[in-house]
Amino acid sequence: MELTRKKFLAGVGGTGVLALALAACGGAKTSSTSSGGKVDGAGKTLVVLMSVKSQYPQEQQTWFKQMGEKFKQQTGAGIQWETFPSANDEMTRIQTSVVSGQGPDVYGLGTTFTPTAYSTSAFVKLGDAEWNMLGGKDKFVPAALGISGPDDSNQIGIPFVSRPFVMAYNTELLKKAGIDKPATTWDDLGAQARKLTSGDQYGLAIAYKDNFDPWKFIWGMSIQAGNKLIDGKSAKIADPTVKTAYETYFGWLTKDHVVDPASIGWSNSQALAAFADGKAAYFPMTSPLSIPTLEKSAVKGKYKYALMPMVPPGATTRPEGGVEAASILSGDNLVIADYSKQKDLAFAFVKMITDTAVQADYYKTFGELPANAEAAKALQSDPVLAPALEAASKSVATPFSGAWGDVQLALVNIAVQSIPDLASGGVSDADLSKRLQDAQAKSQTSLDRAK
Amino acid sequence: MTTETPGRAGRRALHRPGDGAPGHDEPGGGPKKKHRRGVTERNRPLWLLTPGGVLMTVVILIPLALGIYMSLIDLDQYTLRKWLSTPFIGVANFVEALTSTDLLRSIWISVSFAVISTIVTVPLGVAAAVVTQNAYRGRAVVRAIFLIPYVLPSFVVATVWRTMLQPDGIVNNLLGKVGMGGGLWLNGPQSYWTLILVEIWAAWPFIYLLALAGLQSVDHEVHEAAALDGALWWRKLRYVIFPYLKGPVSLAFLLGTLNHINNFTLPFVLFGAPAPSDVNVLPMLVYVTSFQSFRFGLSAAMAVVSLILISIPLFIYLRAVRLDVHEEGAKK
Repeated sequence: MELTRKKFLAGVGGTGVLALALAACGGAKTSSTSSGGKVDGAGKTLVVLMSVKSQYPQEQQTWFKQMGEKFKQQTGAGIQWETFPSANDEMTRIQTSVVSGQGPDVYGLGTTFTPTAYSTSAFVKLGDAEWNMLGGKDKFVPAALGISGPDDSNQIGIPFVSRPFVMAYNTELLKKAGIDKPATTWDDLGAQARKLTSGDQYGLAIAYKDNFDPWKFIWGMSIQAGNKLIDGKSAKIADPTVKTAYETYFGWLTKDHVVDPASIGWSNSQALAAFADGKAAYFPMTSPLSIPTLEKSAVKGKYKYALMPMVPPGATTRPEGGVEAASILSGDNLVIADYSKQKDLAFAFVKMITDTAVQADYYKTFGELPANAEAAKALQSDPVLAPALEAASKSVATPFSGAWGDVQLALVNIAVQSIPDLASGGVSDADLSKRLQDAQAKSQTSLDRAK
Repeated sequence: MTTETPGRAGRRALHRPGDGAPGHDEPGGGPKKKHRRGVTERNRPLWLLTPGGVLMTVVILIPLALGIYMSLIDLDQYTLRKWLSTPFIGVANFVEALTSTDLLRSIWISVSFAVISTIVTVPLGVAAAVVTQNAYRGRAVVRAIFLIPYVLPSFVVATVWRTMLQPDGIVNNLLGKVGMGGGLWLNGPQSYWTLILVEIWAAWPFIYLLALAGLQSVDHEVHEAAALDGALWWRKLRYVIFPYLKGPVSLAFLLGTLNHINNFTLPFVLFGAPAPSDVNVLPMLVYVTSFQSFRFGLSAAMAVVSLILISIPLFIYLRAVRLDVHEEGAKK
C-alpha cells in the first residue's frame, strides 16, 4: 500500500486524537477510583496542598507526619501532602485543578488570594451545616472570618492561621532619642523617624522594592482616611487620599531622608535584616514571623512590636469615615475543592487542624498565630505577642473582589515605576498623578469585568 | 508496511533500462506527470515518521491549536472553570492586546534585547572556540571554565547578579571606590542594559559550543593546505576556517536569539513582577497578564501576535541562511 502525504497526515492526526481521547479516559478513570463516597475513610487518601515552610522544612515534615497519623486514627484515611513553593506555583496548581476538575481536596491559600479563588467558583461554599461540621463559626477569631467570602452567607475560606502586620521598634534607640512610646499617627512616625536618623542609622526600614509591601502601606493609609480603594463597582485609586499615601510613603526617602537610600532595592527580608542589625529604629510592616530572626540578631531583647499607626497622614485624629485598620487581614485560609469526591473527609481534616490543641502546637512550631479563638486567647499573656494579637483583632479585610489582584498589582506597579525617580531625588507631582491615573484605569477595567 | 505489489515491481523491472528519460516511461503517467519521483523519494517508508508525528501533534500542534482557541474566547478567572462554554469573542482579545496593552512595546524590547545580546555573544563565542581549538597545556581547564555560565541554572545566575547589582551591592561599591557612580541597575533605563549584560554573560557559551563543534569538523588537510599556501592566521581564519563555521554559527545565531526572546527566568528573578517598564519583556507581560491579572484569553492573544511577528523575520532569515538542508539535498 502506498502511503501518500495526505494519508500520512490523516493517520497522524487520527492517532493524535486517539491519544488525546485515551488521555482523557485515563484522567476520568483516575478521578473515579479516587472517589468512593463512604463516610468511613479507610483505604482512602485525602490530598492536601499547602505552602512550603522554607524556614522550617524539617518541622513541617514532622508536622505532616503527626497530622497524618492523627487523621488516620480519626478517620482511617491517609493524607497525601503536596506543597507549593510560591504563590505563582499555587496559582498554577489551582488553575490546572479548576480546569481539569481534579487535584487536591484541600488547599491552604493566602488570605488576599481568597477573592480570586472565590471568583473561580471552584470551592465549597460554607453554610451552617458546613460550619457545624468544623465545630461552629464561634471557634474562630471573629476578625479572621473577614475575608472568607464577600458576605456572611457566601463564604469559602476557613481561617487557619493569622499573620497580622505590626511594626517592630528598637527600644534602645527610641529611649536614647527620648521617645517614650511608639508613634500612633503616620505624621508622628515621620517626626520620630527624623529624630532617630543620624549617620548610618535610620528612623525607618522600608522595603520599596518588595512585591507586596507597597500596596499594604497605601491601602492602610487610604482606608484610615476613609477610602477602601474599591467602592462597589468603581475603583478609587486616582483619589487624593491615595496620592497623599504615596507622597508620605515616598517622602520618607525623598523629603524626610529617614530611610537608607539603598532601600529602593530592598525586599521585606532585606529591610528586616537592616532592622535586625540595629541600623533602623522602626520596621513597619512585619509580622511575628520575624521573631526567630530577631531573636538571633543584634537587637535580641531590644525590640518590641507595636500597632502600626491608625491615623492617616496629614491628620492628628482619624477623620470621619476613616477605618481603624491596624493591618490587612493576613494569614492563611483553607478551602475545600468543589470537585472533591471526599468532602466529608476534607471537612474532618480541616476541623482537626483548626482545633485548639493543634493550633496551639502549630504556633509553637511555626510562630504563626492561631485563627482558633481559644488558642489565640491563650497567647495574650505573652507581652511580645500581645500587640500582634491586637493587630489581628483590628485587621481589616481587603475588598472582596475578583479584581483585587489587579488593584494590588497596579498599586505595586506605581512603586516599581517610581523607583528611578526615588533614586534621583523625588517623584514629581505630574509623574505620580499620571501613574495614579494609569493604575485607576487598569483597576477600573478589571472591576468592570468582575462578575 | 511498504510491501510492493508484484505488478508494480514487475513494471519497474521492465522499465529500468529506460530510466534515463524521466517522466515519460511510466505507463498511465504519460506526459501529464511533470515530475517523476527519484529513487530516494520512491516508496519512502513514511509510516516510520508516525511516532515523531504523534509526538509533534501532542506536544506542539494541539497546544498551539488550544492557544489559538484560547485567544478567541473570553477566558479569565471567572470563566476558567467552564472554559469549554466560555463566550467566543472573535478578535476582541487581539484588538485589546494591540491597542490597550504594552504588547508592541514589549515585543520591541524583547526583540531588540535579543538581537543585541546575540550580536555580542556570537563573536565572543567564536573567539572562545578559536582560542580553545588548538591543543595546549591547560586547554581542558579553560574549556571547563568556559562552560560554567552555561551549566549554572538561570535562576542562580539571576540571583547572584541581582545581589551584586543592588543599589548598595558589590558592583556599586567597587565603582564607588574608583570614583564612578554605578547608579540604579535594576530599574530605570539602565536596567535594559543590565538585562543585556547578564544575558550575554549567561548565553555566550552556547555560541561557543556550536562554534567549537563547527571547528572540529574542519578537515586536517584543510589546515595543512592553508599552511602550505603560506596563509597567515587572519587570512586562514577569514577565508579557510570561517566558511566552515557559517552553518553552525548561523544556527547558533538563530537559536540564541530565540532563546533570548523566550527567556523568562532571568528578567523575572532579576527585576521581579511587575517589571520596571524598561525591561517589561514579552514573557513578563504575558506572565503578568496570565497569572496576576488572570486574563488567559488576552495573554493567549498576545502570545499569538508575538508568534506571528517573530516568525516573519525568522522565516526570512531561514530562507536567507538556508539552514533548511533538505532543499540543498534535493538539488542533484
